[in-house]
Amino acid sequence: MLKTKKIKQNAPVVPVLIWIGFLVGVPLIYVLALSFLSRDHLGNVVLEFTLDNYKRVVDPVYLKVFYSSFLLAALTGLITLLIGYPVAYFTANLESKKRSLAIILIILPFWISSLLRTYGWIILLGNTGLINNMLLKLNIIQQPLNMMYHFGTVLVGTTYMLIPFMIIAVFNSVGKLDRSLLEASYDLGASKWKTFFNITLPLTVPGIAGGFTLVFIPSLGMYFISDLLGGGMTIFLGNVINTQATRGRNKPLAAAFSVGMIVLVLIVLFIYSRVIRDKKEGLFL
Amino acid sequence: MRNTKIKSILAIALSIILVFALAGCGNSGEPNGSNDQIDGNGGSKQINLMTWGGDFIPREIISQFEEKTGIKVNYKEVTSNEDMQSLLEANPDQYDLAVVTDYMVDILRQNGSLEKLDKSKLSNFSNINPVYQGNYYDENNEYSIPYAVSISFLLVNPEAVAALGADPITSYKDLWQEELKDKIVLIDWSVEIMGLVLKSLGYEYNETDPVKVAEAKEKLFELRDNIVRFETNTPEDSLINGEAVAGFMYSNQAVKGQAADEKLEPVFPEEGMPIYIDSFVMSHKAPNRDHAYEFLNFIMEPEISARISVITNFASTNSAAEEYLPEDFKNNPMLNLPDEVVENTSFYINVAEVTEEYDHIYTEFKMR
Repeated sequence: MLKTKKIKQNAPVVPVLIWIGFLVGVPLIYVLALSFLSRDHLGNVVLEFTLDNYKRVVDPVYLKVFYSSFLLAALTGLITLLIGYPVAYFTANLESKKRSLAIILIILPFWISSLLRTYGWIILLGNTGLINNMLLKLNIIQQPLNMMYHFGTVLVGTTYMLIPFMIIAVFNSVGKLDRSLLEASYDLGASKWKTFFNITLPLTVPGIAGGFTLVFIPSLGMYFISDLLGGGMTIFLGNVINTQATRGRNKPLAAAFSVGMIVLVLIVLFIYSRVIRDKKEGLFL
Repeated sequence: MRNTKIKSILAIALSIILVFALAGCGNSGEPNGSNDQIDGNGGSKQINLMTWGGDFIPREIISQFEEKTGIKVNYKEVTSNEDMQSLLEANPDQYDLAVVTDYMVDILRQNGSLEKLDKSKLSNFSNINPVYQGNYYDENNEYSIPYAVSISFLLVNPEAVAALGADPITSYKDLWQEELKDKIVLIDWSVEIMGLVLKSLGYEYNETDPVKVAEAKEKLFELRDNIVRFETNTPEDSLINGEAVAGFMYSNQAVKGQAADEKLEPVFPEEGMPIYIDSFVMSHKAPNRDHAYEFLNFIMEPEISARISVITNFASTNSAAEEYLPEDFKNNPMLNLPDEVVENTSFYINVAEVTEEYDHIYTEFKMR
């Protein structure tokens, strides 16, 4: 009796699960299967089992690509945290009307195409860009500063592109804080800073971990940013996959790299689940 | 209550961001006409065409065709030959025509994806310059009609090169001069760049001899310090804004560069250059064949062809179009390619094994 009730309760979820299972599961299986297949001299995929694609993936040259992508994603996560946390903290503590306005202002620029906003950075940072022109006019520099086409330029791009995810995640976490704990801390004589480090920060760890995950994962794949801002001088996983899936005409190799990227993401998600295991909230709660 | 309201706003806003973020990475979208308009064997007056974006087949020309014949042209923009291949081979009955680059004609015909063209329906084919016919990818001109020709060469700012104390650039070899540190822009594609290095060593494109490839690899690594950036879509911008003094790029880009800054000059390297011939091909299950033939004939009309060349900055494949070309087009060596330049060009064959090895070298080169 109890069982049928439970089934009835859960029934509406089933179509959603099937839908998600279909849209996520089928492509995933396709990619996985593809990564073990070969291709002929024309670049057509042929049904022939091989491990060569994975041998390529663990080649030292391509492992370096994994490392640079990991570094980019991790640094993007870190910088968005350092900038995003204070923004989220103060936003969450605003009175409700101002808070809604602030959130809208944070999100508004992201209604414009990401490609267009990336070009905006070129206009800003380029040799004949706004910053260089201004500094030259003010006679602060004699030669234009070389700000484009470095690892750092790409980092600026990914940070800018993904920071709202960090802000929103932390914002939610700060919003859920039990104010009475803070009051108790003040009553017991703790300073503002001490309260922050002993109460607020530990309690917002789920938000931080969630934000980090939300930022880390997409920054692995934003190849157009490294193409435009990085001038193609360094390669990231997204670039390799894009190249192999198109002009390289090696879809199986692209699939093997994608599997490698998925493993990288799973590691991050695993760490995330560890971090929030004992907390009562998280990204998916 | 207030909290949930904010949350739902956030949820909606976040999903919108996600949608935009994903859209930014995706392709340029669906064909202009939706598939449900297609009703089998040319019952409706339309054709489905797929090719590069931009104004590769100028809208002006397409409207002219639509007005003249009443046949609607659905133009799908695609960003790579490989995407066109995927689309064409997945839905051969949804596309009539595609314009793909030489090597892709070869792949598509070997895969049996192309229709042999019925020359009796192509009265204007005689206008096509024989120089651009009978190439390796279609020896007997059965499957393809050359549409646009481009080559790659160097666009150079001679004044800026001299100002750096470097010797004038006349060949690929000159790009290795120490004085040119951080001053060169290149197309971002392993096969092109390996080709450039191989040519500078006096070898041919698509070299597979491991000794020669190893030599080219070493030579490529020596070029690293001189490169300011890799850019495939708008390399000419780097010369216009001064961050580079020399660039290896496609002819239509060089034309745009020179139009923006007349100090820039083309250099046709003596070692030889790559040539690309984008050609019309027909799907072997094309639903609107007769209309497609009509379109092909229209495109090959001398006046139309001349107009296309002027708009797109691609060399004309149409001999009969010459008399309709404006003087400044005919006098521009980048657009009206001199015979000795065309003779000094060759194709990238782009076979899988070569590409794989070159990609590996290229990745190592970039990760240094």
